[in-house]
Amino acid sequence: MISGSNLESILTSGQFAVTGELGPPKSGNRDIVRKKARILKGYVDAVNITDCQTAIVRMSSLTAGLLALSEGVEPVMQMTCRDRNRIGMQADILGAHALGIKNLLCLTGDHQKFGNHPQAKGVFDMDSIQLLQMVKAMRDERRFQCGEEIKGGEPRLFLGAAANPFADPFEYRPIRLKKKVDAGANFVQTQIIYNVEKFKEFMKRCVDLGITERCYILAGVTPPKSLGMARYMKNFVPGLDVTDEVIGRLKDAKDVREEGINIAVDIINEVREIPGVAGVHVMAIEWEEAVPEIVKRANLLPRPEAKIEPVLMGAQSIDEAVEQARKEAEERLQGEISRYKEEVEASKRQAEKEKEESAREINALKREMASKEDELSEKERRIQELLDALRAEKAKIVELESKGVVSTVSTVAGEVSEETKVLEEDIVSRKQLDFALRSMEAGLEALKKVLGLEDEAFEALKRFIEAEFVLKGEGPAVPTGPVTPPTEKRPPAPPEEVAQPVEAAGEEPEVHKRAKEVVNLVAKGNLLLHQGKAAEALTEFKKALEIDPEDEKAKAGLEEAQKAISAKETEEQKEEPRAEETKEGIPPTPEGLTDEEWQRKWVIRLIATGNCALYEKDQDKAISCFEQALRLDPENEKAKRGLEAAKKGEFPTYESPREEVVEEAPKKEEAEERPVAEAAPPEEKVEEVKEAAPPQKEEVKEAKPKEEAGPAPAPKAAAAIEVSGEFEFKKEETSLLDRIGSIPQDLFMEKATGSIREVVIGDGEKAITVGGASALPFHLFEGEMPHAPKIAYDVLDSKPEEMPEPLLKYYEECLDDPVKWAKKCETEFNAQAICLSLVSTDPNGLDRSSSEAAKLAKEVIDAVECPVILWGCGNAEKDTETLREITAMVTDKKVCIGPLTDANYRNLGATAMAMGLPVVASTPIDVNLAKQLNILLENLGLGLDHILMDPSIGAVGYGLEYTYSVMERIRLAALMQQDEKLQAPFICNVGREVWKAKEVKLPTDEMLGDQEVRSILLEAITAASLLFAGGELVIMRHPRAVALTNALIQGLMG
Amino acid sequence: MIIANQKPLGEIMDMLEGVRRVLVLGCRGCVAVCSAGGDKEVKILASAIRLGKGRKGEEIEVVEETFVRQCDPEYLEPLQEMGKDFDLVLSMACGVGVNFIADRVPGVKVKPALNTTFFGANLSSGEWKEMCAGCGACVLHLTGGLCPVARCAKSLSNGPCGGSQGGRCEIDPEVPCIWHEIYEKLKGFNEEASLETIMPIRDWRPSGHGGPRKRIREDLLP
Repeated sequence: MISGSNLESILTSGQFAVTGELGPPKSGNRDIVRKKARILKGYVDAVNITDCQTAIVRMSSLTAGLLALSEGVEPVMQMTCRDRNRIGMQADILGAHALGIKNLLCLTGDHQKFGNHPQAKGVFDMDSIQLLQMVKAMRDERRFQCGEEIKGGEPRLFLGAAANPFADPFEYRPIRLKKKVDAGANFVQTQIIYNVEKFKEFMKRCVDLGITERCYILAGVTPPKSLGMARYMKNFVPGLDVTDEVIGRLKDAKDVREEGINIAVDIINEVREIPGVAGVHVMAIEWEEAVPEIVKRANLLPRPEAKIEPVLMGAQSIDEAVEQARKEAEERLQGEISRYKEEVEASKRQAEKEKEESAREINALKREMASKEDELSEKERRIQELLDALRAEKAKIVELESKGVVSTVSTVAGEVSEETKVLEEDIVSRKQLDFALRSMEAGLEALKKVLGLEDEAFEALKRFIEAEFVLKGEGPAVPTGPVTPPTEKRPPAPPEEVAQPVEAAGEEPEVHKRAKEVVNLVAKGNLLLHQGKAAEALTEFKKALEIDPEDEKAKAGLEEAQKAISAKETEEQKEEPRAEETKEGIPPTPEGLTDEEWQRKWVIRLIATGNCALYEKDQDKAISCFEQALRLDPENEKAKRGLEAAKKGEFPTYESPREEVVEEAPKKEEAEERPVAEAAPPEEKVEEVKEAAPPQKEEVKEAKPKEEAGPAPAPKAAAAIEVSGEFEFKKEETSLLDRIGSIPQDLFMEKATGSIREVVIGDGEKAITVGGASALPFHLFEGEMPHAPKIAYDVLDSKPEEMPEPLLKYYEECLDDPVKWAKKCETEFNAQAICLSLVSTDPNGLDRSSSEAAKLAKEVIDAVECPVILWGCGNAEKDTETLREITAMVTDKKVCIGPLTDANYRNLGATAMAMGLPVVASTPIDVNLAKQLNILLENLGLGLDHILMDPSIGAVGYGLEYTYSVMERIRLAALMQQDEKLQAPFICNVGREVWKAKEVKLPTDEMLGDQEVRSILLEAITAASLLFAGGELVIMRHPRAVALTNALIQGLMG
Repeated sequence: MIIANQKPLGEIMDMLEGVRRVLVLGCRGCVAVCSAGGDKEVKILASAIRLGKGRKGEEIEVVEETFVRQCDPEYLEPLQEMGKDFDLVLSMACGVGVNFIADRVPGVKVKPALNTTFFGANLSSGEWKEMCAGCGACVLHLTGGLCPVARCAKSLSNGPCGGSQGGRCEIDPEVPCIWHEIYEKLKGFNEEASLETIMPIRDWRPSGHGGPRKRIREDLLP
């Protein structure tokens, strides 16, 4: 036996159990509880005492349970988790046991929202399952929830749980019940059952799960008191399934109450037959009188006799009981005395009459009277004794209460928790430190791995040799062998390690500064080492060790650097004889390459090496490299130029990748594969080019106004004329300042304190510059806007599955040929730039391989002269792969690559930095994320003058306002609050968003109007709105929408 | 982000009793994003205060200002000087901002214009929903990414209570039963068996019941 309760013994004996329910009153009137208990007594085996059901304040279940017990009815005390935390609940559990409660039903409790105090704070320290676990452990393991031992008297309670077979999800209900049994439930009472079929299915699953073998299930039954109550339960009580049959029976009944009782009896008879049902729980809510009738009709009588132990009640109740007992005894005795007195009187009178005859009788009567009086005094003495004993008991209780056991317990608990808190804080900080150290270690590990990857990296390296030069101070990567790790395999750790300390180096104490300097030096050393500059790395490590001779990382780095240097030396020694072995001074052709290809690559490498030497001012080496290259390819221009420069001793100096773009720009037409030597041409050359340039520029100038003004016919671009011809905005001739009249300027002028950085995209005279504004968009009266916003045409690299009619009209013939498509945009529509969307590479779509996509992209890039933006599919990994592939192939054009996200910014950022390419930094409509990505890219070494921010935009009706406000906030921060990290221009991929909207696909109809006009306006208005928010470069699709937007820009720019 | 709501204007006007110069101070952090205390809301509230005081026939000077954030010391710096000129600073930041000003800017009287409500997400324009309770002991890995602490009315740990009906919570048919969603979600991944395990009773200390919380990252300390 677990608790030895009546309910437990009936269930374990295999008899069908019956439990009832008793709702305590909303008052302190104990007689109500007693009355209800007396109604149920003898008809049920135990009675559930609810714990403030539906969250309405009532007499506590513990108290009401004790009152029921005093009436000889065994209570099942209910306990919810809503009103007490684990401290209060455990206290009440101990008390319940002490006072003779033996059954406990564990519930989560109805939400306070339903009760009469919806403002209350719901406690829910735990749920019903955790409560079961807690009480089971208190009972079986004799420990409190905290683990502390319960010494001397654990609560022996028979544990119950509730189950609702009709709540959702149905299939999870038996599993949840199993959890309750696992947690410690000995018996289960179900929700009210009307849908017996569904309950049968539930029970079947419970049997299958083995639940019925481990606990007793009592089916819940409630007689509906009225039709209204049944309807209310059906419609408003969640988790109650009242069948239409029940409603129907009540509706047709003459005597609804009678029918209600019949329904309950029928359900009891049905559920008794279901395997696994061990009893019924009859809940006659505010209708206790119905219970005896139901139990009787269901043939469940008589109930086995309950052996209830007398209950110890509160002091007041004891006094009262004693008082009552005394009164009753007194009354009884008084009655007896007066009766005896009367009898004595009568017999006296009779004796006087019959003196002689009754002398013996009188004696006998006297004796009898004396003995009665004795008895009376004996009884009174006993009452007095009883009273004394009770008083003593009462005094003991008072004494116990005053000892303040509670307060000592809580002090101990307080101390313990404080100790653990300190300990815990300590552990937490140590853990954080540990974690930081480990992540730093991981970064270094990655670096080592990269150094180990020499052979694999070799091929990649060759592609990047030229790119390496672009980096200031990183140029002389030694292209002779596998010692140099490839740029593209650069692990993320080193740049960050450098960047973080720099960023944080605000006002630090000297010690920290020194430590950080060491970290900085080590990181720098690692970076250099990793870039193959072992000798320089060596110095960094040495410097670091000078500051802190104990630094392990610096020591390790030093060793690594020394190893690298010796490895390089041996490698170089090997290289030379090997080169001599071959006939023409070329090493043997590697697998997978034809001799011809290998030779071409070798020449490129030689030129690169030569250029390296030039930067290093190593004249001899440069000359020998160029000469060797010329031997293999006598026509090579780059080699010739290089040789010339080397012989003259013209050593180029290099400032920054940015300037290179400008300097190189005019020379685009020269060679397809840009030689390294051109990366920093001597000044003379620049002048030459400048002289040559003007005529071309004039041409462009002439062409532009034509296109914008519209009506002037341009023979080659019929479509463009048609399109631009329709849109003209009337320009405002008077300036704002004139129009504003006498209003003082300081009322409306708000001069910006910051300005947007300029970003150049593309090469040569077709290059476009965006940004540079020092005023809000088109607020020309407040500041400068040196470059009008630009529009790029979107070109997809594979035929889209569907394309709305208005677009199809223009692009139908070139949909599957991106080269043709791009050419068309450039020649017919005078595109300022092309955005090549690499949609075919999407792993969820066509999943075209990166190399294939790259080949196609190169064709497009080669075919057009205007700047190209390469826009990946949005999958961070795939984009990294594809964009690297493309940039490796297209080394001679300054394409713009994107989108860079927080997932791939390191890899793509490094690529862009190496090539000096502008990038698109993409973030999901959030000011802070945009800023963070800019900071990360800057830390990586990519300046804001190479970043275009893509704030992720939405079309009109698809979140435009959200985009707008985020862009506006970014721009205000950049201009007005000097938030430098946000001073990059915006790029907005309008076409992509607009042309997937529903509104552009719906055909022409009366309500929505002409499809083409509608879709053009949708694109143009989206673009215009974003321009007003600060957009500098918009990507669009429809030529007429572009023309419209362009006309607007021209109109506003004046 | 942190979601907040403007206090009723009457309550704010009561705070301004006898105030002659007030600074309405917005914040461009979370409260700006949830349209409760950004530049726009500062303007609106300032105008409302002027109108309200005007109707009472009282004079007040209302200055509008919005900081990038009110929860970082560097952004609060200007308030050290600026704050001296005002009888009251009415902060439109979340409770963090108000506290931080009270802590960092001595001599400035600060009062809140917002009720800070919860950590939530923006469902659609004008609609925010609680998603996280900041309880400090995340169980989302066990519950398919859906939080029972924040999103269950009773913060249950072991599955839906008996009031779950048709995927709705008993407290309000508008509220989904998150445990029902958790069950469906895990079932979608064929992981519903994980809900057979009993989640043990929680330690509520990390959720703030162990006293005010603080986070320290040693490596970032100055």
